[in-house]
Amino acid sequence: MSVLPFPSFLDDVKEKGLKRAVFEGINEVTERMTAGLNVQDIREALRGEPASRKPNPRLQPHADGFWLHMRPSYFHKSVTGLYPTFRLGWLSTYFVFFETITGILLMVWYTPSPDIAYANMLAMLSNVPLGQFVRDLHRLGAEAMVLIVFLHMLRTFFTGSYKRPREFTWFSGVILLICTAFLSFSGYLLPWDQLSLWAVTIGASMVEAAPPEVVGTNLNLLLRGGPDIGANGILRFYLLHVLLVPAILFIFLGVHYYKVIIHAHSLPPSEENIGEDTAKRVPLDKRVYFTPDIITSEIMWLAVTTLILVILVTWFYHAPLESHANPQVTPLGTTAPWYFLWIQGALKLGDKVLWGIVFPTIVVVFLIVLPYIDVSKTRRWAHRRVAFSVCLVLLSLLVAFSYMGLPEFGVHNSADTTIIHEMLQEPQHKSLGQLLPVPYDQLVPGIYTTRQFEASPDQAESAIAALNTQINGGNYPVEGGKTLISYMNDIQFLPATSYTFTAVPSDATQLQNAMKFFTEEMDANANELLNGWGAVVITEPQKNLKRVDVIITWDEVQVLNGNLVLDANGKSQLVKDANGNSIRRINSDHFYIHRDAQYFLEPGG
Amino acid sequence: MSLQRLLVNRIEQRILVGTVAFLATLVLVGWIAINEGGRMAAFDKEFTGRSIEDGAMLFASNCSPCHGADGRGTARAPALNSPLLFGFDYFADIHKQREALTTEQGLPTTTQARKDEITKALADLDTQEKQREGAIDAAIKKGYNPDQFNRLTNLGWSGSLHNYIYSTVFSGRPNSATYWPNPMPNWAQPTGGPLRTDQVEDLTQFVLNFDKGDAWTTDDLLAVNQFPKAAQDPAIVAQLQDQINQLQQSGGVLPVYVGVDTAVPDIMKGLQGVTGDAQHGQQLYTGQTPQALPCTGCHLNGSVAPPMQGTWTRIQTERLKQPQFAGWTGEQYIADSIIHPSDYVVPNYQDGLMPHTFGSQLTYQDLADLIAYLKTQDQPSS
Repeated sequence: MSVLPFPSFLDDVKEKGLKRAVFEGINEVTERMTAGLNVQDIREALRGEPASRKPNPRLQPHADGFWLHMRPSYFHKSVTGLYPTFRLGWLSTYFVFFETITGILLMVWYTPSPDIAYANMLAMLSNVPLGQFVRDLHRLGAEAMVLIVFLHMLRTFFTGSYKRPREFTWFSGVILLICTAFLSFSGYLLPWDQLSLWAVTIGASMVEAAPPEVVGTNLNLLLRGGPDIGANGILRFYLLHVLLVPAILFIFLGVHYYKVIIHAHSLPPSEENIGEDTAKRVPLDKRVYFTPDIITSEIMWLAVTTLILVILVTWFYHAPLESHANPQVTPLGTTAPWYFLWIQGALKLGDKVLWGIVFPTIVVVFLIVLPYIDVSKTRRWAHRRVAFSVCLVLLSLLVAFSYMGLPEFGVHNSADTTIIHEMLQEPQHKSLGQLLPVPYDQLVPGIYTTRQFEASPDQAESAIAALNTQINGGNYPVEGGKTLISYMNDIQFLPATSYTFTAVPSDATQLQNAMKFFTEEMDANANELLNGWGAVVITEPQKNLKRVDVIITWDEVQVLNGNLVLDANGKSQLVKDANGNSIRRINSDHFYIHRDAQYFLEPGG
Repeated sequence: MSLQRLLVNRIEQRILVGTVAFLATLVLVGWIAINEGGRMAAFDKEFTGRSIEDGAMLFASNCSPCHGADGRGTARAPALNSPLLFGFDYFADIHKQREALTTEQGLPTTTQARKDEITKALADLDTQEKQREGAIDAAIKKGYNPDQFNRLTNLGWSGSLHNYIYSTVFSGRPNSATYWPNPMPNWAQPTGGPLRTDQVEDLTQFVLNFDKGDAWTTDDLLAVNQFPKAAQDPAIVAQLQDQINQLQQSGGVLPVYVGVDTAVPDIMKGLQGVTGDAQHGQQLYTGQTPQALPCTGCHLNGSVAPPMQGTWTRIQTERLKQPQFAGWTGEQYIADSIIHPSDYVVPNYQDGLMPHTFGSQLTYQDLADLIAYLKTQDQPSS
């Protein structure tokens, strides 16, 4: 006899023999762990057979277990197909857990401090096996999650599933949408590169607009931890990202799921009489049981979705990492994250308080109260023409505002600044200047001009020769009492004593294309850049390092309130100095390119 | 069973698809994992390239005004694009031979005949070097020394070149205003400068990229505009300044220094006709003149060196009683002690502590002033 108050395993072996004792032991442990299913039950389920004992043991885990008490024990046949759910709710939840797991892995390598956050990123990319892989997954998952959650909301609207009795489910969903957007947004800052700093600066500046001023100022201080985002700000965003917002999200996720248990998935509108909600009363012949059908389907989709994400980050997607955050340098064309572009677009309409604070608040409040405003009982598409029309108008507005949020819209820079930016732009938002992708060997050191491409091919040589005479024959005066050469020496620190323009080598086709683009842009802005010409100077200050200067010089024209002053023929007017001479202007910028530097990580590289 | 309308309708198909997807994920992750070494190395290389680009940008706007846009130095700061910084030896072959021969010459087993041979060979090498130095004469005139071809060795720097450049940019050279028009500023934010530490690293990478390895040419050396200057002791600089002031006042007559090698009888000749000023002597002794003599640093309380108090009394009653000072005067003893401190060391004190360089810092007038001051220390010895 055992010394224990109950028979021990050895007693069992003595009594039943080893094989049976082991089998019964395993069976018992399995049944306890699954809260009701023994080995035989699981085997039957996986074979697709009906349960062999009664009451149906497959319902037991939903009543007694922790994990499955959050899931219905059976679904209505009509909601298990692609329509009406499109699996969007399931996918949203998938991403919650996917982001949590990849996020925890990233936390191992991350310190929320402006001094080393960016160095952490580099270390992750250069020194952590699979570091880039996990970062890409996390970033891709974050962007996808925003999209999926939004689509889930749209689907819920179109099938009328937010209507009574599911108003509160909808409300918890709106909270989850806000959490998702804010999680994605707060994560944006953490790499501490230019992209993150400026995207978040734009977002956080909306907080500052909150009226009255004392509230806005203090809210801004609270969020950023100072007048600008610095050590305190990055720590706060980090804590919001990994602690506060996830906590709220998980709580509301529980609420959201519990509401599905209570009310079940709403059926397609056409399958119910108006005003009825029969989702909970599923006839026996329409039940699809969670075990085995739904659970095997979900596990399958888990594997398939993960595979799709892994394929995407292997061959098609890499998380961007721009240069180190620099509060002193605002990149031209900074934007908010794409899912907040609509706010940035709205801000361009005018008042910061109205469009930056009041408008988004109205949007959120409208979403929350929607089920309480739209109280008509019908969920049929044909009966909801007004609701659908309003929705489509709002969606169109969303697209339009988002478009307006792009830097291309409504932000006017002078032509010379814009052209130089288009030629030299650092990699940013997946785009870069025309000259940057030119292969290193095609950047042949020399001095090239748009005059070559303005002229017809047979005139090109003489156009270049004429310019050389102009530059080197006398001093070519530009603004500030300087010559072109002294301007480049003193202001741009480009050492040169003379400029001799040559034709772009004929085998440097990509350089030629960039020069052609340059010429076209100069031509398109000929009215603003009157008598203007451009130059590209390529030098090699060190081995494997080239410097590329873009120079534009033109005669200043009259501008009133940001618009050119045109005469009757549509020509711009020169600005004259006291002696009646035109004023020559110049603008220039440059970048360096190293033979080994690569601007975008090659997918699959 | 066509009850459910799941996308993959049969359970065995779902299990199959799920298993295949899971295995495919594993294979893919495994494939990525085994390629990680190469990817990480490539990233390092690409990133160093980016770092050099950023460094070049910073160099153009921050450093080129003094170090030159091409890094070859200006009158304001030395060259960085220079073989000296990277320790390139233009006479590596000669230096190597000379070292081998000198070592062999010093060995006890080397015969006298061989030693003579070596002496001749060394002389040949010198001639050879002299001839070849003609090609870089312009650089030598600018201050380049072909025998001291490595900046780090010259400075006794024990870290790497990367450390040296990084730390110079990071904290600047607060002292360098004593030998350059402006000091090298402190650039890093932690030291109060404008640049982030990663930008200091970018600049360092850019400067390191000037290195041509074995491919430095004579032209590179001749193109250098400015070589480094040796740091000066601020006291010496102040002394030189003082000399210039004196020159201006005296109408061009240079002060005459005692000299470190002058024998005592000659010193005494120089002191003839010079009247000591005890008050100036006290200023000299306590370090209040531009020379900033450190006398009181040691002659304080008798623990490191004999105390100042009662010096004259002790000289008369004790030192001059020593047999080797027979016939000496107290003035002679003081002059000898200051200019040649090791001639006689007071018992119980250590030799070698007192500098032997005061002869180069003191004029006869200064020495006479010091003697006059020390003669006032005639109170009874305690």
